[in-house]
Amino acid sequence: MRAAIEVIGLRKRYGPTVALDGMSFTVLPGRVTGFVGPNGAGKSTTMRVILGLDTADEGSALVGGRPYRSLRAPLCQVGALLDAAALQPSRTARNHLLWLAHSQGLGARRVDEVIEQVGLGAVARRRAGGFSLGMRQRLGIAAALLGDPPVLMLDEPVNGLDPVGIVWIRGLLRSLAAEGRAVLVSSHLMSEMQDMADHLVVAGRGRVVADTSVADLIAAASDGRVTLRTTARPEAMEVLARAGARVAVQDRDTLTVSGLEAGRIVALLGANDVPFSEVAAHRASLEEAYMELSRDAVEFRATTPGDGTATS
Amino acid sequence: MRRELRAEWTKTRTAPGTAWLTAAVVVLTAAASAAVAATVSCPAAGCDQDVPRLGLAGIQAGQAAVAVLAVFAVTGEYGTGMIATTFAAMPHRGRVLAAKAAVLTGLTLAAGTVAVLASVLAARLILPGNGFTAANGHPPLSLADGPTLRAAAGTVLQLALIALLSLGIATAVRDSATAAGVVCGLLYVLPLVPHMAADPGWRRLLWQATPANAGLAVQTTTHLDDLPLGPWEGLGVTAAWAAAALLGAWLLVRTRDVRA
Repeated sequence: MRAAIEVIGLRKRYGPTVALDGMSFTVLPGRVTGFVGPNGAGKSTTMRVILGLDTADEGSALVGGRPYRSLRAPLCQVGALLDAAALQPSRTARNHLLWLAHSQGLGARRVDEVIEQVGLGAVARRRAGGFSLGMRQRLGIAAALLGDPPVLMLDEPVNGLDPVGIVWIRGLLRSLAAEGRAVLVSSHLMSEMQDMADHLVVAGRGRVVADTSVADLIAAASDGRVTLRTTARPEAMEVLARAGARVAVQDRDTLTVSGLEAGRIVALLGANDVPFSEVAAHRASLEEAYMELSRDAVEFRATTPGDGTATS
Repeated sequence: MRRELRAEWTKTRTAPGTAWLTAAVVVLTAAASAAVAATVSCPAAGCDQDVPRLGLAGIQAGQAAVAVLAVFAVTGEYGTGMIATTFAAMPHRGRVLAAKAAVLTGLTLAAGTVAVLASVLAARLILPGNGFTAANGHPPLSLADGPTLRAAAGTVLQLALIALLSLGIATAVRDSATAAGVVCGLLYVLPLVPHMAADPGWRRLLWQATPANAGLAVQTTTHLDDLPLGPWEGLGVTAAWAAAALLGAWLLVRTRDVRA
């Protein structure tokens, strides 16, 4: 499968600050890729470099195999929403989309289509300056959809949306991916990604910390651990250890077992007549998995003196 | 380039400020020209006045509106962050700058032509009442007169060049207040500098190098031999400033990160 976006070894510093430190990943079509990481991890900078707005000191970013700035009608290749406030407030929503359409050789009909698609039909001829943040996000998404692009890239699109808007954008992005488009969505909130993304690129300190499917990430964080509740702790520990499991005591009647799946544990305990009241897979949330991963990558956490210097 | 032009024209057309500022170019130029025409007088014995230049004096006011129009065409985008949207949609930044320059030039030429025609008309109507009559050597201002036509057309071109100069400066500095300050300095403060020079050679050189002095040589119709530069050469000085500003802007905008 041809990668829609290829980010290859991007490095960039702003003065003494290292913004990107070897950022590399690819975004594939047909799925929603979540681009997550704490604030300052380099997500927005990466997106700006992909769009040719900022130049990396090293490395390259390709869209459909080509550098963005060589694209002839770029909005028909990549639709992007970086900053919903990036418009002139005195212009109407429709006119904002109209000049964008003209810049790609598109006409007013396409403008009216996307305005309806994002649900701004009623306010199309009102000044965008009077829009709420949520309405501006919708306008920004309309701009991203304008060129019917095979690749979409949205920086924190959920920001400022009400619950209805969040559900709407989740559905929209999922259906865009289902149509075979590549969708890259950034967020600093992992919980937003749980129901939205198929794949995750986790960034921290300007580089990729993990590049994995959502399911794998959770599985890795859960590490196949099983929680076992039993009144016969010593017997259970002996049986399970003999079968090759690692067993940790959690409290008086609870054990955490790793290295054996739940079904096997039940079978072993049953065969050896060890009583137990509960066997449950220990399932980490995406949040937990993320905390695990980004523990080393969080730039602004409280640190002991001398630990705050960039180690890269 | 066609797409960039069309997009920039749509932007200009749909910005509410455009209509106001274009109107301001016309009104300020014509009103200031009329005011100057109304305050000068020529005694019956005759006077040594450059009448076309008097009638076009309103450019001193109109050029400010042109400068603001040009500055805001760029800083209006940097100030709001829309410039990122612009350069994402049109990554060939040199073409965006060229398209902005073309749209602005067209707009300024149109507004400048109306402004100059209105100024000439006002002067033609007002000046005879103040003693500028054919009897004392000042026939009514007419564009059929070669030097007057040159002065009028040159004034329109000077306005367009000031627009381009302002556009280049605004693109380079990106901030409204800074750009407006620099352009106002060039248009209103720099022209005073030659007068501060004691040495006549320096004074002449400084005058020749100042766009607001040299450029307005194009308005002169009398005592052309006393001018440090010919009328068209003078306009060439403004053109050189505009070209330098645009070149600098292009060099900066090509490689610079897009930050609001």
